Amino acid sequence: MLVNVCELVNDDATLVSRRCWTDRDVYELEKKGIFGKAWLFLGHDSQIKERGDFVQAYMCETPIILARGSDNEVYASINSCTHRGLPVCRADHGNTKRFVCPYHNWSYTVEGELVTIPQERELKSRPDKSLLGLKQVPRLESWRGFYFGSFDKNIIPLEDYLGDQRYYLEAFLDRFEGGIEFVGAPHRWVIEANWKLPMENQLGDVNHGPFLHAAVIPPEANQEIIDYGLSAVTEAGHGATFRLMPENAPIDDVAWGMEAPGSILGGPEVHDYLRATQAKAEERVGALRARMKGLTYGVYPNLSFLWSNASFKVSHPRGPGKVEYWSWSVVPADAPEEIKKTLRTNYTSLFGPGGILEQEDSEVWSQQFRGSNFDFADDRPYFYGLGLNEERPHPDLPGMVDVTANEHYARAFFTRWRDALLAVEK
Amino acid sequence: MSEFCLTPQLQLSVEQFYYLEARLLDSRQYQQWFELVSEDLRYIVPSRVNVMVNNRDRGNEDMISIERELEGAESEGCPIREEGYLQMMIRVERAYKMNSWSENPPARTRRLVSNVEILADEDNVLSVISNFHMHYARPGNDNYLYAGQRRDTLRRVDSSYKIAHREVVLDYANIDYPTIGLFF
Repeated sequence: MLVNVCELVNDDATLVSRRCWTDRDVYELEKKGIFGKAWLFLGHDSQIKERGDFVQAYMCETPIILARGSDNEVYASINSCTHRGLPVCRADHGNTKRFVCPYHNWSYTVEGELVTIPQERELKSRPDKSLLGLKQVPRLESWRGFYFGSFDKNIIPLEDYLGDQRYYLEAFLDRFEGGIEFVGAPHRWVIEANWKLPMENQLGDVNHGPFLHAAVIPPEANQEIIDYGLSAVTEAGHGATFRLMPENAPIDDVAWGMEAPGSILGGPEVHDYLRATQAKAEERVGALRARMKGLTYGVYPNLSFLWSNASFKVSHPRGPGKVEYWSWSVVPADAPEEIKKTLRTNYTSLFGPGGILEQEDSEVWSQQFRGSNFDFADDRPYFYGLGLNEERPHPDLPGMVDVTANEHYARAFFTRWRDALLAVEK
Repeated sequence: MSEFCLTPQLQLSVEQFYYLEARLLDSRQYQQWFELVSEDLRYIVPSRVNVMVNNRDRGNEDMISIERELEGAESEGCPIREEGYLQMMIRVERAYKMNSWSENPPARTRRLVSNVEILADEDNVLSVISNFHMHYARPGNDNYLYAGQRRDTLRRVDSSYKIAHREVVLDYANIDYPTIGLFF
């Protein structure tokens, strides 16, 4: 092992080495220490409503099938035939009774049990099929319809893992009586970047907005973030940024979605819907959280949530210098179909691989990898010291809280990251 | 399909329109290109999904039809882009700002538009499909080839046309291009 983890991130995580972003050995440690140990997002209830429904997912580079079985339970199987390893599922999503391996047609139920070995008819011995099903993800749990899997069978329960981050997630999710639903297949695009930068971007880095996105984001939008923006870290690795609007703010300044394209271009029905949703917010999530107008969130290690444009995202690593970024639009599940289509444009108008805003992000994430991936600059680690020790506990909100320019969310992430790698370094 | 008279003049005029459009886009004259766009523009890039093959469709063309793979504007899925005149105006204006970083240096594109097929011409509204190959060069040595089909609704205005609706069907599985935010 050529890397020494202690040298990658200093004590207070104000200095982060370029090698964190580029080194193959570091990446191997990340797979073991982070992706092998964490809860990883797989999919949402709304994607697998009926028995036999499935979606594909990834846990780092390992392909997963998340499916609703014939018993209505949810299963997470590794998408790899027990015979020769081929993926047995090729579709992104669908509904089926069987997954069939192309090579020798071994076939599996949606739950992952092996049911057919065509070759055994010609043979005297019969293998024990009950031992040859698809490998199951050792731990699978859900919270608010979000399914997470873990390769660590001893991991703490998902709810404890999310901890107080749930408070901030609920502030959005619980506003909608019928919950939310994921819209269609995720946008998936490949970026020549390290997986941690898209994550860091959503974890708390709203501060890049007025600079990188200045061609599109108006200055007023940034002023609201300066005036009311907060960045909260409930636990190292998670993060939430939002505007806590004043108590007397007009409903249109607070309501989710009013600032986004669907509302700007939509008609009065959309406005009425958004106002009606906001009118119920206090009853549903409490007075304080009803004033929250979210920006971006991160859930350790690689799930992000863009509240302002209603999108969940996963940064799937594909080696140290490549990401397969998955990104879904989400809408309130009980909204009328036409309103869902309008609200979908909150995301599609600005984000995704062709998004007016997000194309800029993809660009800088790949440029950061280039800026990290050369020699003779290792004595210049990246500076993560903005706002050091300026975050404080908040009287009403969980976690350490400060203005969004404070990079405490990233220092906390890299502290947890370093400790996770140290734990498996040997 | 409605009956209409496909004349060489009609074909020529539509092709000439597309060649003009391609030249303006490749010359980064987006403001002039924007003059070719109707104010009720709908500009859609559907998502392209790997779908389950339905057993019941075995032996039929439907089994592997492209339409099954598309999550477009009318679908309950999530298109890559669904834009109107306003979003396109933002894109055009953005191109001439100093801080449009993903196009800095600006896009170097060269496109070939072909297979122009006029499907209908009724009440001065034309339905036209065409194919394109577009070369896109990034700073350094990253070069990309976009391939796709455009499904247009053109409106005849005076002696030319305006683009009222465009659906861009790109031929990819996962997107391995730096951006889908270009003018196709």
